[in-house]
Amino acid sequence: MKILGVYNIKGGVGKTATAVNVAHLAAQTGLRTLIWDLDPQAAATFYLRVKPKVKGSAKLIRGKRDLDDVLKGSDYPLLDLLPADFSYRNMDLMLGENKKPALQLLKLLRPLSKQYDLVVLDCPPSISLVSENIFRAADALLLPTIPTTLSLRTMAQLLDFMEGHKLQTPVYAFYSMVDRRKRLHHDVIATPGDPRCTVLQTVIPYASEVERMGLERRPVTDYARRSPAGRAYQALWDEVCSHVGGLSARPAYASIF
Amino acid sequence: MSDVTADGFLLPQRFDATRLAESLGGPSACLIDDTSTFEVRFFDSFDWRLFQAGLALLRISSPQGTLLRLKPLEEGEAEAVFGFEPMPAWPADLPPGDLREKVVDLFEMRVLLQLVQVQVEVTELRVLNEDGKTVVRLQYMRMVCSAPHLDEPRTLWPRVRLLAVRGYETELQHLSTHFADEQEWPRAPECLFSEAMAAIGREGGDYSSKLNVALHPEQMAVDALRKILRHLLETLERNIDGTRAALDSEFLHDLRVATRRTRSALTQVKRVLPDAVVEDFKQRFAWVGQITGPTRDLDVFLLELPRYRASLPEAMAGDLDALEEHLHAMHRSEQGKLKRKLVSPEMTALLADWHAVLEAETLPGEPGWFADLPISHVASRRIWRMYKRVLKAGRAVQFDGPPEQMHELRKDCKKLRYLIEFFRGLYPDKEIKRLVKALKVLLDNLGDFQDLEVQADKLRDFARAFKNDDPRHLPTVMAIGALVADLLRHQQAAHVRFAECFAAFDAPENREIYARLFKETRRQAS
Repeated sequence: MKILGVYNIKGGVGKTATAVNVAHLAAQTGLRTLIWDLDPQAAATFYLRVKPKVKGSAKLIRGKRDLDDVLKGSDYPLLDLLPADFSYRNMDLMLGENKKPALQLLKLLRPLSKQYDLVVLDCPPSISLVSENIFRAADALLLPTIPTTLSLRTMAQLLDFMEGHKLQTPVYAFYSMVDRRKRLHHDVIATPGDPRCTVLQTVIPYASEVERMGLERRPVTDYARRSPAGRAYQALWDEVCSHVGGLSARPAYASIF
Repeated sequence: MSDVTADGFLLPQRFDATRLAESLGGPSACLIDDTSTFEVRFFDSFDWRLFQAGLALLRISSPQGTLLRLKPLEEGEAEAVFGFEPMPAWPADLPPGDLREKVVDLFEMRVLLQLVQVQVEVTELRVLNEDGKTVVRLQYMRMVCSAPHLDEPRTLWPRVRLLAVRGYETELQHLSTHFADEQEWPRAPECLFSEAMAAIGREGGDYSSKLNVALHPEQMAVDALRKILRHLLETLERNIDGTRAALDSEFLHDLRVATRRTRSALTQVKRVLPDAVVEDFKQRFAWVGQITGPTRDLDVFLLELPRYRASLPEAMAGDLDALEEHLHAMHRSEQGKLKRKLVSPEMTALLADWHAVLEAETLPGEPGWFADLPISHVASRRIWRMYKRVLKAGRAVQFDGPPEQMHELRKDCKKLRYLIEFFRGLYPDKEIKRLVKALKVLLDNLGDFQDLEVQADKLRDFARAFKNDDPRHLPTVMAIGALVADLLRHQQAAHVRFAECFAAFDAPENREIYARLFKETRRQAS
């Protein structure tokens, strides 16, 4: 089982859109995929038409309740969701009550390794104990970044933090919500990225199709697969697979017989 | 993952995905998604080694790639290998991993054969709740089975498969109850393997080289013997195509065993068939033994080659390459001859004539003296006599006596084993197994003693041919020399072990079983 964290300190950079579309594409290639919505805003949960309510969420985070009991199937084969709950705003406190607080998420996910090939973590913004858990649990971090000066600054902050905590998790940054009409976006993309992370070639455009996810309550890769944004997410997934091992396509219906 | 539990129902033949969706409330309550096709192929060895071990090997191909699964026929975890092409003939060429190791261990020298191919068309449907959320997923499936021996593919009943969506198990339960109780659709079989096999008119395990013919003790000896011989003829015939195609060495091996058993049944179950029949077919089946011998001998050498190489020091193992090439060249030549002879007029006539004898209402010529006696009487009498002969000959073997003593004993032991196997259905299985096992240990020992010497002699012949052929073959000749020495050492070891093996066969407990099963019955019958 591989774990991908979709993360940025900043909010509104396209994290949830990335998590949902990437998870949908993974399931379509035959990988048994789980998306865990860790953000109390519950956007991924909303996109996948599930109620943002987890009974006994505090017990769950403390490891007193199985994740199995609260999983919800999505509208797509092989794609399940661990919904968000508003109480996740206090997740730092819940995690802090455990013996090894920074490793608690990984501990919770381990029992799922036989059921899933991939877990995508949709992470809340900010840098906290939750983030550190994600860095330690994930096999790779996907970092959607708007090509602006401030975004680059937060990217550097993240990489400093990881360096300071001796975290080796590979970071794959990519530019998101790119507006080709903006000179600044062009200039930032043209500038060489921070050498401590890999900057992917794929660029996700700023597109109304992505914004429509809220209305459609489906991944772009479902309702507008051939749109520029749909194709960009496909390219992103392909590029992620080429960097992160163990994500190759599985034949459909592998589970039937 | 999503497909936590699955439940299947057979649908009426004309029920398609659209009708299924309509029956569930139409587009507002049930959506039809994509249709896709894929293919499932099942594999096993000719003699069902996976099936006998309770396993199924299947290859699933779809546009996304190929998956090979080795799964228990009952419940259990499956081994899987993803993404490889094409399917190899030999298990050793499968992608490395646990799956390959398991299949290689079971298959030994056997080749992978495709049993059945199933084309599957799946239409995905989704049942929605009032919020438009998917609560149950359905798969409408059509399947068509084909196999090389069928002119027309066979269509299975269409079916619907219900897949639970996590967190919505109650909805699945309701729908399943609706299909079962209101629609009264029958449950779909859970095992596609058995269903596909039945569709192509086969049954798992429908071939085995083992002999186990059901007999009735009071059956007339001639009928029982013909039943055994018909079984052997079927085994022989079923191995002809595989032998001609040289798919693997076991086809020829099983063909030869069936031939030897046939000869043994003819000559050892005395005075049951008319003498003229015995004389005629004894000769003709001996001819089958002769024409198949050279290829089998070369098969044995080729099968032994990896062991030969392993027995040599590493630096010398490569020196056997020339021998391997030589063996392959001879094998090609002998196999070509064998292929022709197995469809020659002599062979065709033999099989036709033998069928006629075994299926005739009345046999030609004077009936055998014991033909109408109960088979239990004839069987016990023959086994008891042969057992006594083996005991006498075995007890008389001297360590420094002539090797022919051991060779003769081996022949008698083989006859005894065949007799017990022909008639095993008449006796308690547990005790027969014990006797056969003890006899097999002794036969293996006698086989090592004789065969290793024969192999050493043949290797010497090869070495002479190499020496005269080309002086550059000197390293090969030397490697063969080392092999011969090793084989003869093992042969000597077999000689030393003989006394112990025979003593185990001649143990009081075995003597008691032989007497009770075969001597007592004979006395009672007479």
